[in-house]
Amino acid sequence: MNLTVNGVQHTIESAPLTPLLHVLREELGITSPKAGCQQGGCGSCTVLVGDAPRRACLLPVATLDGAEVTTLEGLGTADALSPIQTAFHEHYAAQCGFCTSGMVIAAHGYLESGGTPERESIQTALAGHVCRCTGYVKIINAVAAAAGGEIEATQRWLPQPGEEAPIEIPGAPA
Amino acid sequence: MKAVGARLPRYDGVAHVTGRTMYVDDIRVPGTLWTKALRSPVDHGDITGLDLSKAEALKGVHAVVTWKDVPLLEYGHLSALGIPADEPLLAKENVRYKGQPIAVVAAEDEETAQAAVEAIGLEIEERPALFDVRKAFDADAPEVHHWGNWYPHFEGEMDRRQIRKGSIEEAFEQADLIVQGVYRPAAIEHVPIETQVCQVVPEADGRLTIYSCTQALYFSMGVVAAHLQLPLNKLKFVGGTVGGGFGGKVDTATETMCSLLALKSGRPVKWRWTREEEFLCSSTRAPWHMEIADAVTKDGWILGRKMLTLHDSGAYARFSPYGLTKHSFHHTGAYTIPHLEFDGYVVFTNRVPTTAMRGFGVTSVSFAAETHMSRIALELGLDPFEIRLKNANRPGDTSPNGIAYTDPSTIPTIQAVADELGHELSAGYRTATSELRTGEWLPEHLVGQLGNPEAH
Repeated sequence: MNLTVNGVQHTIESAPLTPLLHVLREELGITSPKAGCQQGGCGSCTVLVGDAPRRACLLPVATLDGAEVTTLEGLGTADALSPIQTAFHEHYAAQCGFCTSGMVIAAHGYLESGGTPERESIQTALAGHVCRCTGYVKIINAVAAAAGGEIEATQRWLPQPGEEAPIEIPGAPA
Repeated sequence: MKAVGARLPRYDGVAHVTGRTMYVDDIRVPGTLWTKALRSPVDHGDITGLDLSKAEALKGVHAVVTWKDVPLLEYGHLSALGIPADEPLLAKENVRYKGQPIAVVAAEDEETAQAAVEAIGLEIEERPALFDVRKAFDADAPEVHHWGNWYPHFEGEMDRRQIRKGSIEEAFEQADLIVQGVYRPAAIEHVPIETQVCQVVPEADGRLTIYSCTQALYFSMGVVAAHLQLPLNKLKFVGGTVGGGFGGKVDTATETMCSLLALKSGRPVKWRWTREEEFLCSSTRAPWHMEIADAVTKDGWILGRKMLTLHDSGAYARFSPYGLTKHSFHHTGAYTIPHLEFDGYVVFTNRVPTTAMRGFGVTSVSFAAETHMSRIALELGLDPFEIRLKNANRPGDTSPNGIAYTDPSTIPTIQAVADELGHELSAGYRTATSELRTGEWLPEHLVGQLGNPEAH
């Protein structure tokens, strides 16, 4: 069977009932989706199938023949962050980072489907995503800022050897 | 000093939001074996039989490790501080909590490792279990631990952490009212989204490379080296990327057993706990049982506190004696009480061993102490803010363990909380400062007792 992940087409060798999470992590070496609970309970394995956020740990790969999957690796890169990645970074919405892949993907899906900055809608969109570090406030702040158009994609200036990293974050909340 | 006061980007933020942070589970080492554990199915029992032959004979199984394979079976988490060890790395004669590891298996894949665990012949004679710290002292209580039902090694040979300050009898004689309360915060599982995980690689030069999710890297290194009886230069620890810990990754959960499997099999070995294992047998915050009786005056001065704490250590001591010690030092909260009688016990039960979690030992007692302050205010009909300001720590006051405070922040903190909540303080309390107590603040019976470390 075939699977397109982050725009790259793969022929999948894993057994048909293998969860998508295992295929991504073990067969394709795409490790941003995390095995937090493998029971659909924590959200850390979330990926987009087409436009829809889905729990990769519960999806048998056989149900996805020909599908397009987006993981966090498929959004912006370190020197060109997407708006939602920039928002998470600038609003300190990632602490230990382990839930972040799933959170950012779900938030990205929310923005793509026309999500608003309204906090209740964001909470509904991120329901089922467990974060034990932040208490969620900064995550919701980040998504609200991105949904409200306050955040643009960031072309990051990456320090060259010998150069000092900048301390100010443009657009960071006061 | 450019960084002080500046709003700095997280050094790891970009890696987090691009999915490039490399956690232990993301490390890929060719030829890695998977680990599974045979765990105690009962809360308490004697191991009467352990037959590994079928498991070892299974195709794809490369190593089975039991207590017999551990060079130093018992090494306590506080051994380095001279506190005796009580917990075997793998159960030997008995099991004391459900989920306690008895054997670990390394196999080609997760399914084979699990099949091998199920093929181990285990015979256990179940014994009565103890779950309630209050019953541990009963004559007919089940015997949980070979040291007895509570930890007997404080200061070498004390069976409790004890604090005596001033004269508790005098305080209770002078009191207008005794206010009592019992506080019982429950166990809390840390639930890091990254479960316990490690990857151990036996190197060609005889060293072990250990990728660890530990919160306490050098500490874990010492624990592994001690159990394996290896010098530290044989261990290369790689850590620093923790997918949530909150205290739950201070205990060395997986690294030692995986190192033994790696040495025995000669292959890289990985162990990632399931969420079920994490809930079943990873350490939790301890449940505490706290009883407080305070001698108070009608106008809200706390003259003396009697306190009994039973700290549920679970089946083994681990860090609990340290946690209870911190607890005892903080048992008056942010307030100064001149006469104290504190007795705290580290009690053994047939629960999973308990450990640090965000403010180890102190969070529980802060909950009790603050709730009790409000209870006193309620019983006396006083303002809960003002009673706190009245009894607040001030420079020169001493903590329960006799340390003089130089710059306590109780007063400005309580005032700031009142401001934030729009709570109107009366004039004297609104302008109170942390300066030494004056005569007008201090009732006659407290002269020479508060604000004077020499008085104790």
